[in-house]
Amino acid sequence: MSVVEASPPGANPTEGVASLAVDDLHVAFGGNQVLLGVDLQFDPGFNGLIGPNGAGKTTVFNVVSGYVRRSQGAVRLHGEDVLHMSRTQRVKAGIGRTFQAPRLILDATVMENTLLGRHHLFRWGHFAELLLLPQQRREETEARQICMDMLDRFGLADLAHEEAGALSLGSQKLVEVARALVADPTVVLLDEPAAGLGADDVTVLLRGLRQLQAERDLCVIIIEHDLQLVTSLCPKISVLHFGEIISEGSPEHVTTDPAVIEAYLGHGFEAEEGGDIHEVEGPLSEHHHIDHVEEESTLEEVWTEDDAPEQEEPS
Amino acid sequence: MTVATASPRPLYPPKPPGLRRYREQLTTLGVFVFLAFLPWIPILGWTDIFDSGNNFGRGNLAFVFAYGAAAVGFNLLVGYSGTLGLAVAGLFALGAYGTAVLSAPSDAREALAGYDWPFFLALPVVCIAAAIIGVLVGFPAARLKGFFLAIATLALGELIVTIIRLDDDVWSGLKTNGGTGKQVPQFLIPGLDRILSVYMLSLGALVLMMLAYIVLTNRRLGRTLKAVRDIDIATGPLGISSTYYKLVAFGLSAFAAALAGAMWAQNSSFANPQTFRTRLLVFLLVVLIVGGLGRKWGPLIGAVFFVFLRQKLQDTQKLLFLILGIALILAVLVLPNGIAVLPKQIRDSRWVKDLQRRLESLLDFST
Repeated sequence: MSVVEASPPGANPTEGVASLAVDDLHVAFGGNQVLLGVDLQFDPGFNGLIGPNGAGKTTVFNVVSGYVRRSQGAVRLHGEDVLHMSRTQRVKAGIGRTFQAPRLILDATVMENTLLGRHHLFRWGHFAELLLLPQQRREETEARQICMDMLDRFGLADLAHEEAGALSLGSQKLVEVARALVADPTVVLLDEPAAGLGADDVTVLLRGLRQLQAERDLCVIIIEHDLQLVTSLCPKISVLHFGEIISEGSPEHVTTDPAVIEAYLGHGFEAEEGGDIHEVEGPLSEHHHIDHVEEESTLEEVWTEDDAPEQEEPS
Repeated sequence: MTVATASPRPLYPPKPPGLRRYREQLTTLGVFVFLAFLPWIPILGWTDIFDSGNNFGRGNLAFVFAYGAAAVGFNLLVGYSGTLGLAVAGLFALGAYGTAVLSAPSDAREALAGYDWPFFLALPVVCIAAAIIGVLVGFPAARLKGFFLAIATLALGELIVTIIRLDDDVWSGLKTNGGTGKQVPQFLIPGLDRILSVYMLSLGALVLMMLAYIVLTNRRLGRTLKAVRDIDIATGPLGISSTYYKLVAFGLSAFAAALAGAMWAQNSSFANPQTFRTRLLVFLLVVLIVGGLGRKWGPLIGAVFFVFLRQKLQDTQKLLFLILGIALILAVLVLPNGIAVLPKQIRDSRWVKDLQRRLESLLDFST
């Protein structure tokens, strides 16, 4: 049920090949089937990946970045199989990712943390470093310039020489996004980049991401629980539920899809024309019937935020 | 679209003006000058231990340098890369026995027989061999973590010592003279007596290790090793192979341990397998933890502390272990970052800050 959205004209260097394609992906942890044949196609631009807790979103990222072995299926980056590659090779091939909780060296500076992202792009080794070769020094300065420019985009330039542990959670998450982006990836996997961020930080994050996406024609894939953010940012959204893609398409299509509403809120809700959701009487006669519906609607609050006036202008 | 910057942003942390910008270089220089002249400086009642007047004082300093050099490598492995590899005692023994056996004359009696190599050929060969062994051990060990890694590498260290001890009993050809112990042929720097040439050799070894260590940890290797220590799980998506860097740390620490072992052997002029049992590992752990784990000057401070204490308590060996134990517990409880951070802690303490304010207000004539 994969729906391939039209990519921006002339933007894709390898026309017709998705930046990242996931075919029939199965993952099981022991007897627990986490992904049951997931097909996804991601093109340059912003792609949203949403779904209730435990749906398998992060598992998709983990398979793509090499943390989890798949039991069946394929992952292709610009048409090339990545599953045989090591994690390091995948980074060199152009896959960048961030983690749900920021993972920074707390007693190193923000600059040093960001420089880690350029690690694989250094040509001179540690022996040159030991001999204090000027070429190595130049390379380091170049890398620092690139990192400083990237930090500047995310409003962190003034904090560059602060220890990362002294930063707020929001700033730490921004540092991690900056670190993933200085590695010059073509596909960026962002795992809940906006969770725990203040409104200001979210604005900075989105501005930085939009600029970079436009300049470098990145394929950005975002896992996010803030539906308002996802619908305003991503022209294409995929919804994962119990290891299966239950809906895919434009934000309007996805947010009004009865299967999605059922997955998020359980039985007894439906969407009106304008996207409002209200409870209905009686059983729903749905063609997308899900067997395991969560009793609790954990994301109800997030969902109703969607009705609030939009602060972010969609690009 | 980027935000226009009026002035270029500083790419390196800003340095204070004046002479203070060279603080790090000056500190490094100062420490080495201090070490070189320590035997001739009578301070803190150290004269009876680190005295230039007797050979015993300079010999003690050479021990400080040897332990310091081993602890530098150990610090790189444990403090920076966070890998609890404990094979250091065995590799220390490898350095001691390796140089002793290789550089000994081949026609001497059993306790002093060897392979006739020149000392300055034997030394790098043994150190590089130790580094290679360290890396080979690291291959399986880098997949282990915490306790399991500690036990596996501890066993390796014991294995090396056992191989040395079993020579002549089980196999022969290593010329380590089994459990009886090996006499170490002395290398003399031309124009210097035995003690002074050992002193200079050990100082040279320490300076070499220390400089490499300072240069490497201040740059990319330092931050990469810290990444392996702190965010091991996230190193993959950064393009950092954590296994590779653990192996680098294993190799460097093995090199340092073997070099230190060779210096130690030159100084003590006799090597016995019993010396390199777990006790030596505990000594090095005390040096490292009391000095300051993951701190630049930690190994050296710890080594001075340890040798000083050992010499003070040389008559009561049992008390030595008691006091070392207490020192280790106190270090972990009171000074978890070691003696190396004591100056900073004092500088940042409330009392000193208060005193500073008072002094400044006293000296402030504008009000």
